[in-house]
Amino acid sequence: MNTLLAIQIDFTTMLPYMNYFIEGAWMTLKLSMITVLLGCVIGFVATLGKRSKYKIFNLLATLYTQIIRGTPILLQLMLIRYGLPAIGVPIPAIPYLDPDGKLTGCVLALGINSGAYVCEIFRAGLDSIDKGQTEAARSLGLDAKQTMRFVILPQAIKTILPTLGNEFIMMIKESSLVSTLGIFDVMYTQKIIQSLTYRQFEPLIVIAVIYLIMTTTLTGLLGILERKLNNA
Amino acid sequence: MLKTVNLHKHFGKLKVLNGITTEIQQGEVVAVIGASGSGKSTFLRCLNLLEEPTSGEVIFKGQNLTTRDDKNFNINKVREHIGMVFQHFNLFPNMTVLENITLAPIQVKGLSKEEAEKKAVELLKKVGLLEKKDVYPNTLSGGQKQRVAIARALAMEPDVMLFDEPTSALDPEMVKEVLLVIKDLAKSGMTTVIVTHEMGFAKEVATRVMFIDNGIILEEGSADDIFNHPKEARTKEFLDKVMY
Repeated sequence: MNTLLAIQIDFTTMLPYMNYFIEGAWMTLKLSMITVLLGCVIGFVATLGKRSKYKIFNLLATLYTQIIRGTPILLQLMLIRYGLPAIGVPIPAIPYLDPDGKLTGCVLALGINSGAYVCEIFRAGLDSIDKGQTEAARSLGLDAKQTMRFVILPQAIKTILPTLGNEFIMMIKESSLVSTLGIFDVMYTQKIIQSLTYRQFEPLIVIAVIYLIMTTTLTGLLGILERKLNNA
Repeated sequence: MLKTVNLHKHFGKLKVLNGITTEIQQGEVVAVIGASGSGKSTFLRCLNLLEEPTSGEVIFKGQNLTTRDDKNFNINKVREHIGMVFQHFNLFPNMTVLENITLAPIQVKGLSKEEAEKKAVELLKKVGLLEKKDVYPNTLSGGQKQRVAIARALAMEPDVMLFDEPTSALDPEMVKEVLLVIKDLAKSGMTTVIVTHEMGFAKEVATRVMFIDNGIILEEGSADDIFNHPKEARTKEFLDKVMY
């Protein structure tokens, strides 16, 4: 009975370690942002592949999205971080930013993963535009590129941007997996704080709150963006 | 001016066009009538290659659009000269009325913005919508949208205008304003091909009426021939159903 009463929740024990949490959160934000940017580039190329008239590019792009979306992200992370170096494909270290090459591999893996989802976002956005729009533009003599630039993209962007924002939110949460690969993100602070204070519960709650602050802030910003786009 | 030779179009197993040979002369106003699913819209869409014919030829002003003998053949160059108006208007919702009309003249013809806008204003006056030039299409009624779509097609100064059921998606009270614009255009000598269910309009304006059934031209002739003295049993049957 006394053991039950002995359980004490005391968040003040966390106060001296706030700078760890902040440093970790900053890493999480950086990681997700770079990942989504990289994902956009890869996703854009994959979208071009899917819409190409050459069968080989269709096939490659489909294979890519199928493999990435059909396997766990943790496996993809480990494959790039440990698997590739094991067969002699080194992940380059970036001096100053990433001296031991740990981060580059993770960013690469997350970016490749995100690209597959971003590709689907782009595809869905472009497909959401009525075929009649393309037909009207082409019947006026616009070529495929002009049709894309002046007619399709400006309309598709309205559906693409908010969904892309959601992908960013997803990435903030999914990037927590890198903590298992020794990256000091906000999730990783749990290990540090626990070994320093022997407390299990409080650091997890602090971390949860930090994630919630990041994701709700972003959701709010997205809402504003969406309203702006709808009014435009 | 615009000629088709033994035009076929199949969608998988579905044979929509089964050999259409016809020639549309300069200044003609051809009304294409027929039951839904008869292939009349597909025929129209083959004329500017929005649908790629399965076989057969489309020849526009002596240039063969389907065999592509010429290495420099560019379908976009041809489409500049063939205006098209759609059942569902297909205005660009991300642009104002004026921008809808000036987009192609600026981007395709290389007109300056001032020239293109001057022309657009003229056309908007003609279709009676000048006061709407700076609004977005979603604030317009169906009839107004279709009149803008007509102005947009005319801005490219086409040699021929194709209308694909231009009034079928309109509320009844808006049909007339659109038909009047098309009638004016036809009377001004514009070569016109119009797929329509407005028999009264076809009777009044068309110089030739073409009845399409099962993907072929079953019967064609003057409005008087087709509406008052149809020869084919299918034509009579169709007219019986739609005229009252």
